[in-house]
Amino acid sequence: MALLDVRDLVVRFRTQDGTIHAVNGVSFELEPGERLGLVGESGCGKSVTNLAVMRLLPKPAGRIEGGQILFDGVDLATMPEADLRDLRGRDVAMIFQDPMTSLNPVLTIEEQMVETIRAHRKVSREDARARAIELLGMVGIARPESRLRSYPHQFSGGMRQRVMIAMALALEPKLMIADEPTTALDVTIQAQVLEILERLTTEGGTALILITHDLGVVAGMTQRINVMYAGFIVETATTSELFANPSHPYTVGLLHSIPRLDEEQPERLIPIEGTPPDQRRAPVGCPFAPRCAWRLEVCWEVMPPLAPTANDPAAISGRVVTTGPDASHRIACHNPPTPEEAVAGQPLRPGFVPAPPPGLVGVPIEDVAPAELEAAGASVAAGDGSGPGEPVA
Amino acid sequence: MLKYVFRRLLAAIPVLLGLSIVLFAFVHLLPGDPVAALLGQHATPELTAEIRTRLGLDKPLYEQYLIYLGQLLSGDLGKSVINNRSVASELALRFPGTIELTAAALLFAIGLGIPLGRIAARHAQGWTDGAVTVISLLGISIPIFILGYTLQFFLSVQLKWLPTSARLDPRTHIDAVTNFMLIDTLLDGRPDAFVDALRHLVLPAIALGSIPLAIVTRITRASVLDVANEDYVRTARAKGLTERRVDSRHVMRNAWLPVVTVIGLQVGGLLAGAVITETVFSWNGVGRYVVEAIQDHDYLVVQSTILVFALIFLVVNLLVDVGYAFLNPRIRYS
Amino acid sequence: MATAAAPLNQPLAQPLTSRASRGLWRDAFRRLLHNRPALLGLAIIAVFALAALLAPVLAPGDPLAGTLVNRIKPPSAAHLMGTDLQGRDVLTRVLYGARISLLVGVVSVLMGVAMGGTIGAIAGAFGGRVDTVLMRVVDVLLAIPGILLAIGVVVWLDRGLLQIMFAVALTNAPIFARLLRGSMLALRESDYVTAARSIGASTGRILFRHMLPNALTPVIVAATLALATAIIDVAGLGFLGLGPPDPRTAEWGTMLTDATSFYRQAPWIIFFTGAAISITAIGFNLLGDGLREALDPRLRH
Repeated sequence: MALLDVRDLVVRFRTQDGTIHAVNGVSFELEPGERLGLVGESGCGKSVTNLAVMRLLPKPAGRIEGGQILFDGVDLATMPEADLRDLRGRDVAMIFQDPMTSLNPVLTIEEQMVETIRAHRKVSREDARARAIELLGMVGIARPESRLRSYPHQFSGGMRQRVMIAMALALEPKLMIADEPTTALDVTIQAQVLEILERLTTEGGTALILITHDLGVVAGMTQRINVMYAGFIVETATTSELFANPSHPYTVGLLHSIPRLDEEQPERLIPIEGTPPDQRRAPVGCPFAPRCAWRLEVCWEVMPPLAPTANDPAAISGRVVTTGPDASHRIACHNPPTPEEAVAGQPLRPGFVPAPPPGLVGVPIEDVAPAELEAAGASVAAGDGSGPGEPVA
Repeated sequence: MLKYVFRRLLAAIPVLLGLSIVLFAFVHLLPGDPVAALLGQHATPELTAEIRTRLGLDKPLYEQYLIYLGQLLSGDLGKSVINNRSVASELALRFPGTIELTAAALLFAIGLGIPLGRIAARHAQGWTDGAVTVISLLGISIPIFILGYTLQFFLSVQLKWLPTSARLDPRTHIDAVTNFMLIDTLLDGRPDAFVDALRHLVLPAIALGSIPLAIVTRITRASVLDVANEDYVRTARAKGLTERRVDSRHVMRNAWLPVVTVIGLQVGGLLAGAVITETVFSWNGVGRYVVEAIQDHDYLVVQSTILVFALIFLVVNLLVDVGYAFLNPRIRYS
Repeated sequence: MATAAAPLNQPLAQPLTSRASRGLWRDAFRRLLHNRPALLGLAIIAVFALAALLAPVLAPGDPLAGTLVNRIKPPSAAHLMGTDLQGRDVLTRVLYGARISLLVGVVSVLMGVAMGGTIGAIAGAFGGRVDTVLMRVVDVLLAIPGILLAIGVVVWLDRGLLQIMFAVALTNAPIFARLLRGSMLALRESDYVTAARSIGASTGRILFRHMLPNALTPVIVAATLALATAIIDVAGLGFLGLGPPDPRTAEWGTMLTDATSFYRQAPWIIFFTGAAISITAIGFNLLGDGLREALDPRLRH
């Protein structure tokens, strides 16, 4: 049985400006000890998915409106608050993006660590303190006995994130969710913190969900990656497979929009044009269609399901593997880029033109006024002669 | 920490000096000749000159100021021109009454305002929140004298639940030791009189405390809502703490800080409000002393009272700042 | 195709986010119109302002002279708010009282804004020693609690409407001094002033075109809220016997003092006069809170 089994999760926020469709039916699984990366732009629903797992969505706006979150076979989405409290911190721990604001400024590190331990274990203050010292030592904080009496503001950002990790690991949780744990840190500190996170979760057999917008961070840290866009998982594969054969136009775009140091001849970076869709509208069709150079007419109307890629064994056998090193490579795409196109970062089929928004079908793109396109919620990816959308002979 | 207190003390000195200059100017730049006012129809040139010399009014202004400053430093606030009594000892006699009143009002404001603010924040946008918002709007909008008379009219005159005015039933005699009624009645071994003093205190304290109540409620509500959105509160929940513990240790410990600052600032308003409250409830304190002095054109008394009130205000704010630093490690350890 | 589609290359603005460009004031005004409490406040103020303006037309009686036959009459059809000790119509006096309260309140707040604002703007714009000295002066004023300062000033300058205005202005001034100083200091460091400077705008232009308008929004909010306090303080001075020199003047605070000595027999005078003061203050407080929310949507809770 999977440690975590999220099925068709739907999360919406009810705000003054309307309903925000944050997570639109997300399913994924996680085995004990497995390390999963969750990648996407800000606002793609990756953090919300995990706050939903912890049932820590901002109240009263954020609500789980559908699906199940099975943890060890028990549905967290419907679990009573009191049971959930026992689970939080003990079985599932979380660390957040900004270590400067994630620790309580008026309590000492000792108070904050001891209260975590004592919230779940009936141990004396002294024992809890000894455990806190041990944990601080594990995350590489020198002189942990004296540092325990410090307040958060007396630590640097990297040190605070170490404290957060130590606190999260205090009860040897089965699952650790790290939400952009290094984004707020200096580049030099990032590697150290990631190393600690990786070493300690591996040693403790703790499963890890690493949320980040930085593909470089997940590359070395995780075994499997889910790519999210506008509240959907659009691609999932093992880490090595994803980097070797990115198959969703969005993933392709992501990989082409970051500099890669391992390429001999640094290729030109291709930014993803346009902006993510307005999530105040209920999703219709593929949310990436307005920005996609591969889009077909059907993309505007139907969101494709997550299905194995053509080259994946599951495409023939029909046996989809959801976890582990043999996990199937699946994408949600009507018209996936070919491997050559993925390398080029643009469609290479002669004469291919991205389908215009519905209602504008048949009108040559040159004749469409920008305002009409805007009204249709579209941004057209077109280039300066060699960009995506331009047929290459 | 000590260094911080010391620095705050040093910062208060220029303010105190400035205050003494303003108040000196207040008496000495008064339109009209104080000596003429003092002597009235008995004024003769010789007598006027003699009094001027005696009061030091013939000396240059800066010299007069230094003399005034010297007197202040030795605790001499001068003598009332009306009855020749020492202003300092008159104030000492009446201050306990004012302190008793303002302390009770502050207690009322804090004791009710913080729970109300927390309730409003917990049910933000709900009907309790709306009710609390209306109460605090009324609190800051209804002047003390109107609320005072309204309470008096309904609760004392009509319903006769509480006494209308004064600090104690006039038939009760209590030996004045500290001039704090609540203490003196107990020292005298009169629990009945203690209860009576307490009953006399209720209405004035509510009337005076209504504005700080409104403000403490508002700031508590806003502060709790602010802190509730902080990342560390989410961390606390993610650790699996109970809601009660999240609230008391993580939300309130931080939400307190702005509330404490605001409470300090309310003390000034309370002292000023005491002047009016004491007039409404015939409360024997400094406020009534000032109002009588205004009517008698006894400017020295007005001046000295303002000085003492300002001094109390500064001291209380110093204490509040120290308390704030104590609650906030970011200041304590900097 | 490439040339025609080139403008589309820019990220297209989301239709729903484009409203930020509509201008702060229009936006604020729109938010204000959707704020029911603020509109109620505005309505209250409008009613009292009209009452004050039209008092000679609306008032059924003479605000100063009464007939002793009519003294201490409870509210009736002839005297909607009853009569006072001198037999004067209370409604008439409440209407005329609105003139004094609103006039003195508005003038004193404007004076306070002018005095405090000037001090604060100078302190904030120049900084350094000028700032230190000016802010110490403000600290001294702040150390004297509210109405006590006003009492001192009225006692010092003698009773009179101008004196009351000045006294209340002086108690308000520190608020505005601190506000403008803070805004100026923050703005001096802000990006867009730096930007204006970098394109070669003169100091005067930066001050008047860029810094003042932005410093103004918190001042407008504070001034509206200060009006509530000012009206209460003016009434408070009247209540303490420091109102207008002519004791017959229809001034809310003075009317209260007159009424207190026999309020057991005639509670309606305190009731109606007190309601007038309180409702006016409520009006300004509601409007001030509404303005704050409208001008700074981040503060909305």
